[in-house]
Amino acid sequence: MKDNTNKKERFSFVGYFKDLVTAIAKGDWSVKLSMLFMGAGYTFHKQVIKGILVTIIEIAFIMMCIFYAAPNLAKFGTLGTVQFEQVLDPLTLQTTVNDYDNSFTILLNSIIALFLIVCFVFFWISNMKSVYRLQVIDNAPDSLLKKRINTFIEDINSLFSEKFHLTLLALPTLGVILMNIIPIFVMIAIAFTNYDQSHMPPNALFTWVGFANFKNILANSMTVTFGYAFKKILGWTLLWAVLATLTTFIFGVLLAMFINSRTTKWPKMWRTLFIVAIAVPQFVTLLLVRYFFGDTGIVNSICSNLGVTEFLKSVGLVSQHLNYIPFLSSEHWAKFMIVMINIWVGVPYQMLIATGVLMNIPGDQIESAKIDGANKFQTFVSITMPYVLFIQGPSLITDFVKNINNFNVIYLLTNNSFITPDQALANSNAKEVDLLVTWLFRLTNEYYNYKMASVIGIIVFIISAVFTILSFTRMIAGDREGDYQ
Amino acid sequence: MKKKVGSFFHHLLLIILVVIWLIPILWLVVTAFSGYPGINKTHFFPETWTISNFTTLFLKPDSVVQYGRWFSNTLIIAIFTCIISTVFVLMVSYAFSCMRFKGRKTLMSLSLILNMFPGVLSMIAVYFVLKSLGLTNSHLGMIIVYSAGSGLGYLIVKGFMDTVPVSLREAARLEGASELQIFTKIMLPICKPIIVYQVINSFLLPWGDFVFAKLMLNSGISKDYTVAIGLYNMLDRSLVNQYFSIFCAGGFIVSIPISILFIIMQKFYVEGVTGGSVKG
Repeated sequence: MKDNTNKKERFSFVGYFKDLVTAIAKGDWSVKLSMLFMGAGYTFHKQVIKGILVTIIEIAFIMMCIFYAAPNLAKFGTLGTVQFEQVLDPLTLQTTVNDYDNSFTILLNSIIALFLIVCFVFFWISNMKSVYRLQVIDNAPDSLLKKRINTFIEDINSLFSEKFHLTLLALPTLGVILMNIIPIFVMIAIAFTNYDQSHMPPNALFTWVGFANFKNILANSMTVTFGYAFKKILGWTLLWAVLATLTTFIFGVLLAMFINSRTTKWPKMWRTLFIVAIAVPQFVTLLLVRYFFGDTGIVNSICSNLGVTEFLKSVGLVSQHLNYIPFLSSEHWAKFMIVMINIWVGVPYQMLIATGVLMNIPGDQIESAKIDGANKFQTFVSITMPYVLFIQGPSLITDFVKNINNFNVIYLLTNNSFITPDQALANSNAKEVDLLVTWLFRLTNEYYNYKMASVIGIIVFIISAVFTILSFTRMIAGDREGDYQ
Repeated sequence: MKKKVGSFFHHLLLIILVVIWLIPILWLVVTAFSGYPGINKTHFFPETWTISNFTTLFLKPDSVVQYGRWFSNTLIIAIFTCIISTVFVLMVSYAFSCMRFKGRKTLMSLSLILNMFPGVLSMIAVYFVLKSLGLTNSHLGMIIVYSAGSGLGYLIVKGFMDTVPVSLREAARLEGASELQIFTKIMLPICKPIIVYQVINSFLLPWGDFVFAKLMLNSGISKDYTVAIGLYNMLDRSLVNQYFSIFCAGGFIVSIPISILFIIMQKFYVEGVTGGSVKG
């Protein structure tokens, strides 16, 4: 029984087209006519209003194709050929602009048009199927079990009862299409064009370049250093994600256990104090911390007063020509500080979660371990940790992916203050402390290098997706959703 | 005796940790009252105390500081974002949790994959779409940015709805209630706690967001900013020496309501992340 429902809730390609073929093969003349005039089937099977509505949609779609899709898609192959030109008329002193092509508008409109066309194909298929269903109901032999064909009012009402999900999902889906799906397709398309600072619409055209940008990101030559920068930044991104996830997790669990322990008085108060630290918006605290640890910041003046700077110099951790500790301005110090500051940001969150998890550890297991003579450390290693890992395992992978895309910590701490000494990195607008996402952001926001940014974005997506699929089954499989119902 | 010493060191360590965690916050608060406008590089506590930073924020707006405007801009955006995303999330969660229909699992998997795309990636395309609609530098544009895709963030609320016994809904169905009635009259009242979470969570988004606001509000006109962008702008290299303590004052004020909301919300946060599995 359970398997059966599961199958229905998953989409099957074979079944989908099989139904369509049956509908076309076995449909009567009105169903076959619906292939051309979509309202025909409904109209001849007593659903006139629906027939009219469907036909209106069909007409609207055809109009869309003629006036919107066709002119844009015609230029889709070249992304426009007419260069922007301005002519100043010397007599009237008015500038006239020619009827130029805007590559980006063409690309955007073409993608929207293609999307609409695909949607219409699905609509057409589902129309064929439901018309055929009507025919089956209509032609069934008269009996008590015979279903009646819904009136239009009944159809509307069903949108609030058994088909309520359609009503519920309509608007959110539209939002997601507008904000997520279409932009994603646009960006994927841009990865295959030469859209950058020297090809900026409306003044210039850009065009398709195939896989050139993907080759570029692996290339390494005197002029193109993307390959070098990409390798370096990818390495740091992964290292950062591992370090950030593990340190916050371990310290979070330890802190939670420390506060939970019986010795602690007023555990709630301590917890709230830690939460206050993360309740303040990140952009405020992180920017503050950046100045706190600045080259001429307060920590540096305290350190030099206490002689810490001199000590670090003599040990060799700070180079000789500096008279400050380069907390956020030299590569290794900055990386170290970023991880430390991230512990500051992330541990209270992990502490909160771990507290919730720890409270639910089955007490009898710990009790029986005690009776068997296990000490505190042994119970921690063989009971507490496995339990916490079991519960939090999937969310650790999610954290890992979140850290790969952790824009705030890196950007707010190092933007404007970290200057790379490495010319090869600077050539591709990267810095040692950049993550792929902050690099991407700088490439678009400051250097208008959309083509390379898109390539990086696609790579980030692939990395994130691979790790998500690892935790995918547990998060979505819905094994748990039936547990309580 | 040994126990007492242990307890003393236990609490001493806690105090040290709390001090480390609260030092930046303390610095924020004291600098907000500093009489020196730039960054105090030698002393932790300011040498002169004043409340003029706060009066500048609210009473003396100039070309850089428009705090009242930023606050009302962000508030308007936050209220609408909050309403739209809460409604969207509840609708999607109910559909995925309480209804069974063809393609449900496929849609759920799809939405998870969509969520994987870094927002920073599609942001540029979003920017151009909104620009072609003339919505950059406007409240409406920001509301769309924050709330249109919110339906994807349904996992936590759905997890909560999954724990509601199915028998409740079935009883209502037998009595002849439509799904709409079950949704509004039965599910929504039960889901009150998680709705509180969702409301606060989506309300906080525009206050803390930095990336999208920086991209969309690019007019350079201080009046259009949200609090986050306005404050960030004060730390521009040419401005920081005049505005640092005002930045702290502004950060301090905006932190108060946000911290309170965050502390209310944090208990739901735990259940959300562990996906309700804590109870198992």
